[in-house]
Amino acid sequence: MNRTGRRSGKLVSRVLLSVFIVVASFPIYWMFNTSLASDSELFGSGQKFLPQLQRLNEVPQNLAEVEILKLLGNSAFIATGVTVLSFILAVMAAYALSRFKFHGKGIAGFFLFSTQMMPEALLVVPLFALFAGFGLLNDLSGLVLANTAFTMPVAVFIMKTAIDKIPYEIEESAKVDGCSPYGQLGMIVIPLILPSLAAAAVINFFDGWNEFLFANSFITDQDLWPASVGLAQFMGQYSTPLSTVMAAALVFTLPAIAFFLLVQRQIISGLTAGAVKG
Amino acid sequence: MPRITFDNVRKSFGKSIVIEGFSADIADGEFLVLLGPSGCGKSTMLRMIAGLTDTSGGDISFDGESVNALEPRERNIAFVFQSYALYPHMSVLDNIAFPLIMDRFKPWYHLPILNSIVRRIIRNSPEVKDRVLDVAKILELEPLLDRRPRTLSGGQRQRVAVARALVRDPEVYLLDEPLSNLDAKLRTQMRAEITGLYRKVKKTFIYVTHDQVEAMTMASRIIVMDDGVIRQIGTPEEIYHSPEDTFVARFIGSPPMNLIPGRVLSDRVILPGLQELKMKNLPSVSAEQTLVGVRPEKIRIASSANGSVLATVVSVENLGAETVLGFMFCNDEKSDSLLTRDNQNTYFAKLDGSVSLVEGDEVFLTIDSAAIRWFDSESGLTIHQTS
Repeated sequence: MNRTGRRSGKLVSRVLLSVFIVVASFPIYWMFNTSLASDSELFGSGQKFLPQLQRLNEVPQNLAEVEILKLLGNSAFIATGVTVLSFILAVMAAYALSRFKFHGKGIAGFFLFSTQMMPEALLVVPLFALFAGFGLLNDLSGLVLANTAFTMPVAVFIMKTAIDKIPYEIEESAKVDGCSPYGQLGMIVIPLILPSLAAAAVINFFDGWNEFLFANSFITDQDLWPASVGLAQFMGQYSTPLSTVMAAALVFTLPAIAFFLLVQRQIISGLTAGAVKG
Repeated sequence: MPRITFDNVRKSFGKSIVIEGFSADIADGEFLVLLGPSGCGKSTMLRMIAGLTDTSGGDISFDGESVNALEPRERNIAFVFQSYALYPHMSVLDNIAFPLIMDRFKPWYHLPILNSIVRRIIRNSPEVKDRVLDVAKILELEPLLDRRPRTLSGGQRQRVAVARALVRDPEVYLLDEPLSNLDAKLRTQMRAEITGLYRKVKKTFIYVTHDQVEAMTMASRIIVMDDGVIRQIGTPEEIYHSPEDTFVARFIGSPPMNLIPGRVLSDRVILPGLQELKMKNLPSVSAEQTLVGVRPEKIRIASSANGSVLATVVSVENLGAETVLGFMFCNDEKSDSLLTRDNQNTYFAKLDGSVSLVEGDEVFLTIDSAAIRWFDSESGLTIHQTS
């Protein structure tokens, strides 16, 4: 009886999961489907449900027209820059906030998170003035800085929570063994919070990869457009090459998926089990 | 090896004082146990010796040199934590090798990628590897070297923690309740192993515990602490047989020392229930009220009323080789209310073998007058006999 109950419970959860996966991935499928549809189908006879794979060889040709590699390269620069810079700054800030006692610790934490309290759009004008002053307009590194300021606090929060969970004795033990504070961070703390680092990296990378608002406002040079802005420019007043845009959008999602798959193996818990008597 | 001196060491956290006026000397190669109840400040004291906690005042010196300002690493100590504090992401081999790797680590080795390469090179150097294998052999860890801490049992993790302490050959070993997380059988085994290790390495060991059995069996000297102050410093024998105050008397021994209120007259002492016990060498006390301290094993069953006291049996615990007898003095007004072991008028005798007594029986007991310790009932301090 129990066994049957367990089996049917499993079946129900699998069916629900399958439905969820289908719903969640349908837009990606439809993007793929659209990228292989002809304009006449899209704007006339109606799009077929199954992808027309025979048109697959036309896709590279269409993408060459939009200089997709250049756009992706710019996006990759921003995303990688945001991820790396956020990681370096956030891991040290999180360690300090978790482990050190200093005056103004609460205020420091508050200021860090205050950036999350206002919409990015609100800062476009002041940032524009600031970037103009520093010569950061039409400069991808300016976008890296702006996005890092917004995503780093989230990374700090994720990492601090993870560091708080590490038993303090492990670092003290390293201290007795002759490990410097940087050594404790690099050799003990960071390896123990890898799952959280991976989660923070995914958030930061996606934030940088999806960057649109600041790029659209601060970058006027077409050669420096990230893919998000580049794709948006195809939406013309009189025509939109929908299948080409969808093909480019599909390619645009691939690096993000690849990055997620790369780090998802690290997103496992229980690494600290056995460090101290539980 | 350093002689460790504490000169009026103090520690407070905000307004709460944890250690007050701690002054003591630890000789070269001594096995010193800091013993006391939870929260008495013994672990804080150990952490101050290690340099993991700053002192609020006073001086800790190694061989006359103050170490207050030195980092833990500079003190040449090893610390075994109660929670083992192994590095969970490293193998047993890497855990043991870590202090040796740190000895050879330069600041620029911290650079990413270079860090792990250098660590691997140092770990695989014959000098380090041989030392790690030697220590692993001593502690029988050789088959476990590739395993991660989470796959080890409590006893094995404890051994790894000790191995990590041992590998660098420090001058002082600091152990913070290292056996408290182990089961009774393993604790006995590890106790013997740590004592064996102490004899082998012949270094200074400072061991914190609240377990009097560990203290009595391992220590060459014990410091009994309570509420941040030293109650007594002495060898296990001195602590057991000549406690300086009622706290030490009650803290050491199981069951603890009986503290029986008594009124001292010229040639006898009046015990509860107005029972008289004639004896020589009575202390000269100004106050009439004293506490008669007598260890349970110094009380025996008497065959006659002559020179003995009459008691009512409250409890009988047969432990096989010995029997713990709980009793009250007959006619003791205060003991009439409740015949329970919790009653503060219940005293204990430890008798050899088993006895054929049951609760409620009356029995004559003799007290070995030579083994009696006298305490002032007001201050709790021992009264030294003048004769």
